[in-house]
Amino acid sequence: MTFKGPNITIFIVSILIALIGILSIYSSTYQKQEAPLQQIYQRQMLWVVLGLIVFLIMSNFSYRRFWDIAYILYALAIFLLLLVFMLGVARLGAQRWLKFPWFNFQPSEIAKLIIVIFLAKYFSRKSVDNVSLLVNKSGIMKGLLLPFIFVLIPIAFIIEQPDLGSAAMILAIFMAMLYMSGVKLRYLMVFLFLIILALPLVWEGLRDYQRERLLVFLNPNIDPLGAGYTVIQSKIAIGSGGVFGKGWLSGTQSQLRFLPESHTDFIFATFAEEWGLIGSVFLLWLYYLLAKQGIIIASKTNDYFGKMLAFGISLMLTIQVAINISMTLGLAPVVGLPLPLMSYGGSSMIITFAALGILVNINKERGVF
Amino acid sequence: MKQKIINSFILFIFLLIGLSLFKLQVIQQRIYKYLSSKNSIRLLPQFGARGKILDRNGSVIIGNYLSYDVLVLPQEEAQINRTIYNVSRILNITSDRLKDKFKSDYIAPSIPVVIAQNINFKQAIALEEARLESPGIIIQPHPLRDYPYGSLASHVIGYLGEIDRWRLTKLADYGYKTKDIVGFGGIEEKYDYYLRQEEGALSVEVDHQGKFIRTLGYRPPKNGKDIQLTLDLNIQEIAENNLRGHIGSVILMAPDTGEIIAMASYPDFNPEVFIKDSPSRGGLFNDPKAPLLNRAISGVYPPGSVFKSVVAAAGLETGKINLSSTFLCTGSIYIGNQEFSCWDTHGQQGLLQALAHSCNIFFYKTGLLLGAEQIHYYAVKFGLGRTCGIDLPYESSGIVPSPLWKRLHRFKGWYAGDTVNFAIGQGDLLVTPLQLTRMMAVFANSGMLVTPYIVKAIDGEDISIYQKKTQRLPLKDSTVDYIRSGLRRVVSEPTGTARVLSGLKVDVAGKTGTAQVSRGQPHAWFVGFFPFKNPKFVICVFLEHGGSAAASCSLARQIIEEICKRGLI
Repeated sequence: MTFKGPNITIFIVSILIALIGILSIYSSTYQKQEAPLQQIYQRQMLWVVLGLIVFLIMSNFSYRRFWDIAYILYALAIFLLLLVFMLGVARLGAQRWLKFPWFNFQPSEIAKLIIVIFLAKYFSRKSVDNVSLLVNKSGIMKGLLLPFIFVLIPIAFIIEQPDLGSAAMILAIFMAMLYMSGVKLRYLMVFLFLIILALPLVWEGLRDYQRERLLVFLNPNIDPLGAGYTVIQSKIAIGSGGVFGKGWLSGTQSQLRFLPESHTDFIFATFAEEWGLIGSVFLLWLYYLLAKQGIIIASKTNDYFGKMLAFGISLMLTIQVAINISMTLGLAPVVGLPLPLMSYGGSSMIITFAALGILVNINKERGVF
Repeated sequence: MKQKIINSFILFIFLLIGLSLFKLQVIQQRIYKYLSSKNSIRLLPQFGARGKILDRNGSVIIGNYLSYDVLVLPQEEAQINRTIYNVSRILNITSDRLKDKFKSDYIAPSIPVVIAQNINFKQAIALEEARLESPGIIIQPHPLRDYPYGSLASHVIGYLGEIDRWRLTKLADYGYKTKDIVGFGGIEEKYDYYLRQEEGALSVEVDHQGKFIRTLGYRPPKNGKDIQLTLDLNIQEIAENNLRGHIGSVILMAPDTGEIIAMASYPDFNPEVFIKDSPSRGGLFNDPKAPLLNRAISGVYPPGSVFKSVVAAAGLETGKINLSSTFLCTGSIYIGNQEFSCWDTHGQQGLLQALAHSCNIFFYKTGLLLGAEQIHYYAVKFGLGRTCGIDLPYESSGIVPSPLWKRLHRFKGWYAGDTVNFAIGQGDLLVTPLQLTRMMAVFANSGMLVTPYIVKAIDGEDISIYQKKTQRLPLKDSTVDYIRSGLRRVVSEPTGTARVLSGLKVDVAGKTGTAQVSRGQPHAWFVGFFPFKNPKFVICVFLEHGGSAAASCSLARQIIEEICKRGLI
């Protein structure tokens, strides 16, 4: 890989974020005497190393090949989600994991990336004369409904797990890519209108705990010890960090375990408590740098598939970071979404590094076309 | 174009997040820092011991023992239930009762709730072990009042209880809080400010389960100040043992200083019932015999013939009578057309015989010579009709009537009949046993009106110099001397009313009284001092509806005998 421009930035920034993540995980598990938790940061280090390997592989794996296998990947994602649905491991009231001898794999993570690839291909198909994009001419059927149905199938599986966060995220990615593609804007309006119409139906279909979480999001104080507890504790953790933070290993909220999920979904609160406004703004800046590189690469790429893919990956990252941090700040309902590169967990770490690798590869190969 | 929109959109989202971070971590950081410390910091009150109460020789009358309270840290509900279940198993109390207690006493998540008090040492150890499983349990030592002598001196000491609203409004400025334990009655109330312990606190950091992590700070509790009384434990015991079974009061006082050596009142109560959940507590308030009343200072009664010594002093001082004045006792006299009788027919009586025989006729006539105003004047001089100023609460002032008083309170005029009744200590005259003791001390110490007191030292510092307030009464030496010898004759003469008190190891002098009451048996009095030559004690024995003065005389005899026998004089 070439060590200049966006590539080197992506490489350095992602490693920096992952290291910050390990520090925070170490801190949040520091005083937890139970033995398996003590090893969590070591496992996370392993995930980072594995992630970097995947990153290097992906950055040298021509992204054009994804064009060829996009539909196969889509089928694979559906298959994996089906598999979770049938024999997945239930944890924390949700069935999201496939159990392997020494780790659990979360297919919804890979499904997100695959859907980005799939949509990138779908929206960049060209007419037979290989000049104009098909999507510019397609009507409402092919421009909106058909891709939506393709997206809806995995969403349905993911909602059923249930993993509302990932489902909402895929929907958001779909909308953003729809916007970026050449599809007529009025289709997007129609789509938004449909979504709003469907909301009451979605509400009906939600599980009790999901409804509760949404209500609690509107007012966390309706249930301070139940569903609202996490948000309240997370806000306390972040707010009490102040400008300079309480210092590494000194965050009372996470160290004394008032903050649940302090090393997974709420890792940002752990970090913000100990490093304060200065640390969290720095971290935010790193994430912004990462997202920005994707946009730069996309705008420089002439290959429409590469452009859409780079946009998709960049948006996927941004949306996930935004939703996760917003939920720790109480700005979004609590949905189980990890913070990319920081939250403990292998699936998210490897998929994020893979996505970044693809981004680097697009940047490398854009000169070819 | 679209790329720019997307780019700005991303920037916008990150700025929004940055702004809300700024709001939380800068603008609202103080409230969140407070909430964060409230989360993890628990304040455990630490109790000091209430000051001990000692007798004049330093023996402990009321001390403290270490009891143990069970507190529970508020946690999640499921955990609380488990914790309470564990506690209920060990204490053998139903968990519903403990749960109710927890709910009713819950204040805030950071404050542990007391769910059981005064558990024994074994249970405390068992609970300490249960903490491994339920870290939310806290066992806290809590010194409690120990009453080694049970009800001894219960009226002087008082009892303890939770502060009531009236006291709280009065004492809030002095740092008293709701749920404080304060004294009720006696020394416990009067000197509560000195006796009370100062709560300390331990601030600890706990995790989300309430498990102890580390100590953040500690302020040790301060024990209350010990109070040393002028009471003599042995003499107090003698007085109470002899009084037991009667209704009444016994006081022994040092005549020169006003130190109270013993003060007993019966029926009494065991102050212990107020610190333990005891059903017998309610009965104390409703008992018609009023066991909570300290008859020695709060009960008012007609003094009967004891008052004659005041009338005698008044007569001698004013010159209306002298030692050679005599009156003829024929058993009764007529004032107007009303007959006033004596209890016997004494014949020709001088002052000294009249005192010895407690002749009514002599004092009727002396009283008529003096007039009501003069008797009132001297009665007040001798400390009647006003409080003695003893350092105990709820002292009564009694009543010394006068024509003006009768006009104001009874709306009637004063008649000569009132004067003669007044002269023998009947009628509207009401006194406390302590007032009579103080009055008698004037004759024992040759003319000084002392202020009785009961607290000798606070925290080892002698405060008796502030307590001793004596006042020389403007009496002639001869007056005091004459009455002293008359009082001696009450005991020494074979026909004296207190002759049962003769033949003891010490010479006793004093005056008896049989005070007629409108309903029931008369009150029996004996108020005197001993040894006659160099008095060390003034004694007052009062028996409510005790029949005749002979009853109180024989009680006085038993007490004096025992004091002599045990070499306490």
